[in-house]
Amino acid sequence: MRIRFLSLLLAVSLGGSGVAAASELIIFSGRSDRFVKPVVEAFSQQTGIKVVLHSGSSTALLNKLKLEGERASADIYISNDAGNLQKGTDLALFKPAKQAVAERIPANYRAEDNSWLGLSARARVLVVNTGQHETDFVQSVFDLADPRLAGKLGITHSSNESYIAGVTVYMLKAGNDKTRAWLAGMKQNVDGKVFNKHSKIVKAVAAGKKSIGLVNHYYIYRYLDKHPDAPVAIRIPDQGKEGMGVAWNVAGAAISRYTKQEEAAERFMDFVTSAKGQALFASANREYPTRPGVPAAPEIPAVGSFKVADVPMADLGKYRDQTLDLIESVGMP
Amino acid sequence: MAFGVVLAAAIPLMYVIISSLGLDLAAWQGLWNNRLPGLFWNTLSLAVLVAAGCFVLGVSAAWWISRREFPGRRLATWLMVMPLTIPTYVFAHIYTVLMEDTGWLGQLWVALFGSAPPELFNIAGITFILTLAGFSYVFLLVQDALSRSQQDLEEAARIQGATPGQVFWRINLPLLRPAIAAGLAVVVLHVLSDFGAVSMLRYQTFTLSIYLQMNGRFDFNAAAGLSMVLVALSLTFLVLERFFRNRQRYYGSGRARRILPRRATRFETAMIWLWLGLIALFSVFLPVTWMMIWSWDAWLDNLIDAKFWGYVRNSMTVSIAAASITIVAALPVALYHARQRSLISQSFLYASSIGFVLPGPVIALGILAFVLANVPLIYGGLLVLVLAMVVRFLPLAIHAQESAAQQLTPSIEQAARSLGAGPWESLRRVTLPMIRGGIVSAWVLVFIDTLKELPATLLLRPTGFDTLPVRIWIEASEEMLELAAPAALMLVVGTLPILWFLMRPERSR
Repeated sequence: MRIRFLSLLLAVSLGGSGVAAASELIIFSGRSDRFVKPVVEAFSQQTGIKVVLHSGSSTALLNKLKLEGERASADIYISNDAGNLQKGTDLALFKPAKQAVAERIPANYRAEDNSWLGLSARARVLVVNTGQHETDFVQSVFDLADPRLAGKLGITHSSNESYIAGVTVYMLKAGNDKTRAWLAGMKQNVDGKVFNKHSKIVKAVAAGKKSIGLVNHYYIYRYLDKHPDAPVAIRIPDQGKEGMGVAWNVAGAAISRYTKQEEAAERFMDFVTSAKGQALFASANREYPTRPGVPAAPEIPAVGSFKVADVPMADLGKYRDQTLDLIESVGMP
Repeated sequence: MAFGVVLAAAIPLMYVIISSLGLDLAAWQGLWNNRLPGLFWNTLSLAVLVAAGCFVLGVSAAWWISRREFPGRRLATWLMVMPLTIPTYVFAHIYTVLMEDTGWLGQLWVALFGSAPPELFNIAGITFILTLAGFSYVFLLVQDALSRSQQDLEEAARIQGATPGQVFWRINLPLLRPAIAAGLAVVVLHVLSDFGAVSMLRYQTFTLSIYLQMNGRFDFNAAAGLSMVLVALSLTFLVLERFFRNRQRYYGSGRARRILPRRATRFETAMIWLWLGLIALFSVFLPVTWMMIWSWDAWLDNLIDAKFWGYVRNSMTVSIAAASITIVAALPVALYHARQRSLISQSFLYASSIGFVLPGPVIALGILAFVLANVPLIYGGLLVLVLAMVVRFLPLAIHAQESAAQQLTPSIEQAARSLGAGPWESLRRVTLPMIRGGIVSAWVLVFIDTLKELPATLLLRPTGFDTLPVRIWIEASEEMLELAAPAALMLVVGTLPILWFLMRPERSR
C-alpha cells in the first residue's frame, strides 16, 4: 500500500502532460482564446518560438502573477482592459517595452513608462432599433437615464470590465455627481433586469424587446455579420462641439517583470506592434488597431470620423477603485 | 500522524488568519456595517431554500424506491444519483441557455403562458439549480438508512392503530433524522462553498463576494476577513449538526427482519414514475440531451481532437492522484476519532473540516502562498494542485471512513493483537479489510468532487494545463457551446463507472 502510494506520488510530482517546458514563451491571456490564437500562431510561424497560451480571467491571472512575484511563470500578460494592465503597472509586475517599439503606439494608448502597450481599441457606443423612433432624442450616454426609456434600455451587469471602464471615463469627464445621478437613473430604467452578455443586448434590441442599449461597437457588427438584415444600427454618442466624445478602451500586452525569456518576449511585443501583427490582433474582433495607419475592418466607422473622449487609457486603472466605489454606492445590479 | 495531517489541512486557515490580521478596526467595522448583513441574508436564505428543496426531492425519491417494488426500480436509483456527475456551473449554464426565449424551455414557456420566460439570475433560479445538483446526497444517505430500517417498530405502531401517515411522521421520520441531517449537511456545505453556479448567475454569497474582493480589487485582507466570518458560520453549523446527530442513537436487534419493499399497484407505479420521471427530466435528461446534441455538432466539426483527449487525461490524472492520496491521509484522523472519543480527536475532526468550509479560491491562495514561501521547488508542478485538492476534500474522506470505522468492535483488533500481530499487521490484515467499504466510498466521493472542482484548479493548475472543468469554464464564458458540451459530457461519462463502485455495496446487501 505504501509502496503504491509512494510511486503514485512520484508519478504525480514528475508532472503530467501539457506542462510547459522551459524554452517556451508563456502567455497569460485574459482575452478570448479565439482572438489570441491566430496572433500567437502567426508569431510562432514567423519566429519559430513556441508559445504556451494559458487562458483565464484577466484579474485572476494578474493576481497569480502578483502572488508568484519573482517566480512568475508568465513571460507575457494580455488583457482586454486597460484598467487591468495599469493595475499590473501599479503593482510593479511589468517591465517596460523597448522605446522604439513603444513609440509605434500613440502615448495615450500605453503606460507612461511603456510597461504595457495598448494594441486594439474599442468604442463604447449605443445600439438602436432602426424601426423605433422613440429613442431618437438620445444623443449622449447621459440621456440613457431619461425616464422615457423605462423598460426600453439594455445594459450589462456592473461587474463587466468594459462597463466599469466606460463609467470611469464618464466620471473623469463629467464629474462624480453627474455620473452618480446617471447611474441611479439607469438603475430605475432597467428595474433590476440587466444582461449578462453584451451580445444579448444587441439581440434584444434587434428583436425589438429593447429599444436601445449600451455596448462595445464590435458586438453590433458581429450580429450584423450573421443577420445582415437585422434592424439594428450603431449610434455614436456625445459628438458635436459640446460632446465629450465616446469612451474608448484598449486591449493590450505587457512583458512580465521577472521573465526569463526576455528576448522572446520582446520579439512578441515587436510582432504585435508590427503592421501585420496589429492587423491580426485587431481584425479578429473588428477593433481599431492602435498603431496609426493600420486599417481597421471596413464595416466599422472609420477612425477619425468621430470624436473620442481624451482620457489617457492609464487612467482606467488609476481610477478603477474609485469607479467601483461609485457603482457600489448606487447599488447597480 | 493524525496531527500531521491536520496540520497540513490547516495551512489555508493559517493564511486566512494572518491575512485578516491586516484588517484594522475601521475596515472590520466597514465590512460589518456594509457587506455582512446582505451577505448573511443571501447566503443563509439560499442555504435554507436549497436544503428544503433537497429534502423534498431526496426523501420522497428514497422513500418510494426503497419501499415499493416497481418495474425499473434499479434504473430509478441510477437516475437519482446521476446528477452528482454534473457540476453546478454546467447546470447553471445549460439552464440559462434553455430558459432564454429562444431556448427549448423558453419557447415552451412562451407557448404555454404567453409571457417572457422567468430569469434565473435571482434566488429562485439559483435555488432551482443547486437543488437539482445537490438532492442526490440526501437521496443516497436516506435510501441507505431506509434499506436498513427494521420492520418491528412500524408493525407495532400499526397494531396500535396508527395510520400510515402517522407512522411516517412519528416513527420513520425521527429514525431517519440522522441520515437526513447528514445529507442536508453535505448539501449546505456545498451551497456555502459553491463558486461556479453563483458566479455564473451572479448571486452574491460569501464565496462569490470573497472571490470578487480578491480579484476585482486585489484586496486580500478584506477577502480574508470575509472568509473568517464564513468559517465561523460553517463551523457553527457543523457543530450543531453533530450535536443533533449524537443525541440520536437507535440500536436495532440483530435478529429483527429487514423491511422488504411491497409490490406497487399499477396506480402507484404510475405515480412513482411520474414523480421520479419529473425529477429525472430536469436533473438528468434535459442536461444530458443538451450535452449530446452540442457534442454531436462538435464531433461533426472535428473539434474533438488530440487536445481534447489531453484535457480528459489531465482531469483523470489530478482526480485519481488526489483521491488516492486523500484516503491515505484521512485514515489516521478517522481511525483516531473512531477509537478514542476525546476532546483532541474531536477538535482534529473539526480542524480537518477546514477544507470544506473555506471557499476554494481561498484554499488555493493559502496553499500558493505557503508553497511559494516554504517549498518553492515544487511550485509550478502538479503536486501543488493535488495538495490543494487533498486539503479541500479531506473532510469527505474522513467522514466516510470514520463512519465505517465506528462499526469496528475494538475486541476484534484486540484479538488480533493478542494472537501476536503487530500494529501494522493488525491494521493491514484486520482493520483495513473491515472498513474497505468506507475507504472505497471515500475514494469515489473525493474523485467525483475533484473531477468537478473549478476555482482552486483555475488558480493552481500548471501553465498550459487545462482540465475539463477549466475548458468548460473558458468556452462557456465565450459562449462556445459546441466546445463546452463535449467536456461536460466527458465528466458525466467518466464518472459513471466510478459511481458504479459506490452503488455496489447496496446491491450485494
